[in-house]
Amino acid sequence: MTELPIILAGIAFMTIVLIQIARKSMLVVELFVVQSAAVIALLAWSSRDHVTLTLVATILAIAAVKLFVAPFFLKRLIATHASRFSSNTYLSGPNTLIVLALIIALSSSYLFKPLAVIAPGAQTLLFLSIASLFCALFIVINRQGALSQMIGILSMENSIVMMALAAGLEQSPALQLGITFDLLLWVCVAYIFLSLLYRQFGSLDVTQLRRLKD
Amino acid sequence: MILDIVIIAPLLAALASIFVRSNTFSLERLTLTGSIVSMIGVFSLIPEVLRAGSYGASDLFSLDALGSVVALVVAIVSVGMALYSIGYMRQEIRKEIIGFRRLRQYYVLFNIFLFAMYAALCATMPILMWIAIEGTTLSTALLVSFYNKPSAMEAAWKYLILNSVGLLFGFIGTLLFTLVHHDPSAFLNWQALRLGAATLDPVIAKIAFACVLIGYGTKVGLAPLHTWKPDVYSKAPTPIAALFSSSLLSVAMLALMRFKGIADISAGPAFSSTLFIFFGMLSLFIAAFLIFSQWNYKRMLAYSSVEHAGIISLGLGFGGIGTFAALLHLIYHALFKPLLFSAVGNAYLTYSSTKIARVRGMIRTLPATTALFFLGVLAATGVPPFGTFLTEWYIFTAGIALHPYLTTLAIMLLAVVFAGLLRHLSAMAFGEVPEGIEPGEHDWRTVAVPSAFALILLAFGLMIPTSLHELLTAAVSSI
Repeated sequence: MTELPIILAGIAFMTIVLIQIARKSMLVVELFVVQSAAVIALLAWSSRDHVTLTLVATILAIAAVKLFVAPFFLKRLIATHASRFSSNTYLSGPNTLIVLALIIALSSSYLFKPLAVIAPGAQTLLFLSIASLFCALFIVINRQGALSQMIGILSMENSIVMMALAAGLEQSPALQLGITFDLLLWVCVAYIFLSLLYRQFGSLDVTQLRRLKD
Repeated sequence: MILDIVIIAPLLAALASIFVRSNTFSLERLTLTGSIVSMIGVFSLIPEVLRAGSYGASDLFSLDALGSVVALVVAIVSVGMALYSIGYMRQEIRKEIIGFRRLRQYYVLFNIFLFAMYAALCATMPILMWIAIEGTTLSTALLVSFYNKPSAMEAAWKYLILNSVGLLFGFIGTLLFTLVHHDPSAFLNWQALRLGAATLDPVIAKIAFACVLIGYGTKVGLAPLHTWKPDVYSKAPTPIAALFSSSLLSVAMLALMRFKGIADISAGPAFSSTLFIFFGMLSLFIAAFLIFSQWNYKRMLAYSSVEHAGIISLGLGFGGIGTFAALLHLIYHALFKPLLFSAVGNAYLTYSSTKIARVRGMIRTLPATTALFFLGVLAATGVPPFGTFLTEWYIFTAGIALHPYLTTLAIMLLAVVFAGLLRHLSAMAFGEVPEGIEPGEHDWRTVAVPSAFALILLAFGLMIPTSLHELLTAAVSSI
């Protein structure tokens, strides 16, 4: 059972990688749900010996938003505007995979070795979370769809939760408060914006957003 | 109790505004009253902060010397912009750019923005500050897209994404700093972090500070994390852009200064100083050339904010007298930016364009505004008798001993900024007035507000009140 956290973190990491190459918006959302479920399970597993009311409330809030509210909103948007969603990336498929490989190699290279002091007892989990964080950031940068960018940010949040768990911060009220607040508000505001963006541009492809320049 | 009122007054104004029906006057009065109540509260707390070192209302909110400096800035600017908004937004209604519902949305969000800023600067806990600053992102995103134009939507989305990514790094940094405490379930405040900082592994402190700098540096607009700024400043309503530039920048800078103090105890001051100098120089470099070649006056002011964020960073990086000057520069910047934004806001109301090339002959159409704009540019470029001359002098005095080449380069970049701002000002002030432009100021408030900021700036340039000096000295000791 000691491998369970690594397996769960590995699942979350793999979903982030798969989101990069997924071509269908609905698949991106489903991968995000799997990723969130893995992170929530990891959070529950890590804190099984010190269950507190706030922790349970946090887990429930994260589960509610990431497993139900956000997917519901996103699927509704996709269902309404199915043909107009962009699943394109700025880099081609092979180049995206090369960059991902570089990110993963870099995350476990000597460059990030000093970070090991954060989690002396959970280094694999730590480096998986660092790789996940940078891969999620790459989703925000590389994918042209606003919806994918939103999922990229939510995936970054999941990676931060994994990183905090590696550092033994699952009991931290800062983590619980920060993640819960951020999720609730961010998902609402981002949903409003996705709807407004679609109304203005008739698309959620951010390459259509070219009105600002210097 | 008083501090609670300071924080809650804008929130109450926002809530009350939601229920206002078809009464513009009520919306304006609610916002102005909320801002004035908060300002009176802040001013009444200063003597107590000076006497006792801090004023603690609860475990969640308190005001120390450093927080008081920023609270003063937010209080003064918010009252000024609440008053300016009345004149500005009435013109927008008169021109049928917005209707009552949009106006109500504006005032509700304006007050939520103020509430989030007061909550952030008074927060006793780093995580509470992070939440409040994240709250400013979410409330202001809707203000950036206020005009519902495609370009405004685009700016708002860019702002939301960039700031969210940045603040997530800030969140990582904040979490890492909480490792100072052996009990992870403890709610850590700033004081506990400072007390435990010496026990924090220096490597963790460095990583945490780097993350925090990326996070709050994005909010401050330090290059290369500044890219949202020109878009947001040019698309948001002018009073909001002024609040962004003066108040929000100061609040985010406050977060950086607080974390700098903790990181320095753990990892030594060299690490944070190097980062501040690097980002400061980069900000100055990018801003200088983009100001010079600018075509849009609101974007020009955005780059001016990047420039001044760079100057403040340099002061913090150089240390010594530079830290004091950086804090004073933050106050001056927060006072001349509303002056500049009010002036360009008046220009926009007259010329209906933010392009420099389309604004000509301002001296004939808006003589009072042009004079105020000129004073604002002088303050922004550090010309005596404005206090910015002195603060820049002190910052570069601190820098020349440590980094003579970098300091010389920074001074040369300021010369480029000076030339750029004066070039654009003269282009807008003189020349033939385009056809169809009606001369005349719009509203007494749109002139009175920048005039008041100009007077305060001149007064503070000639003499810093003793109590403010004491407050600054106490604040510097906590950085």
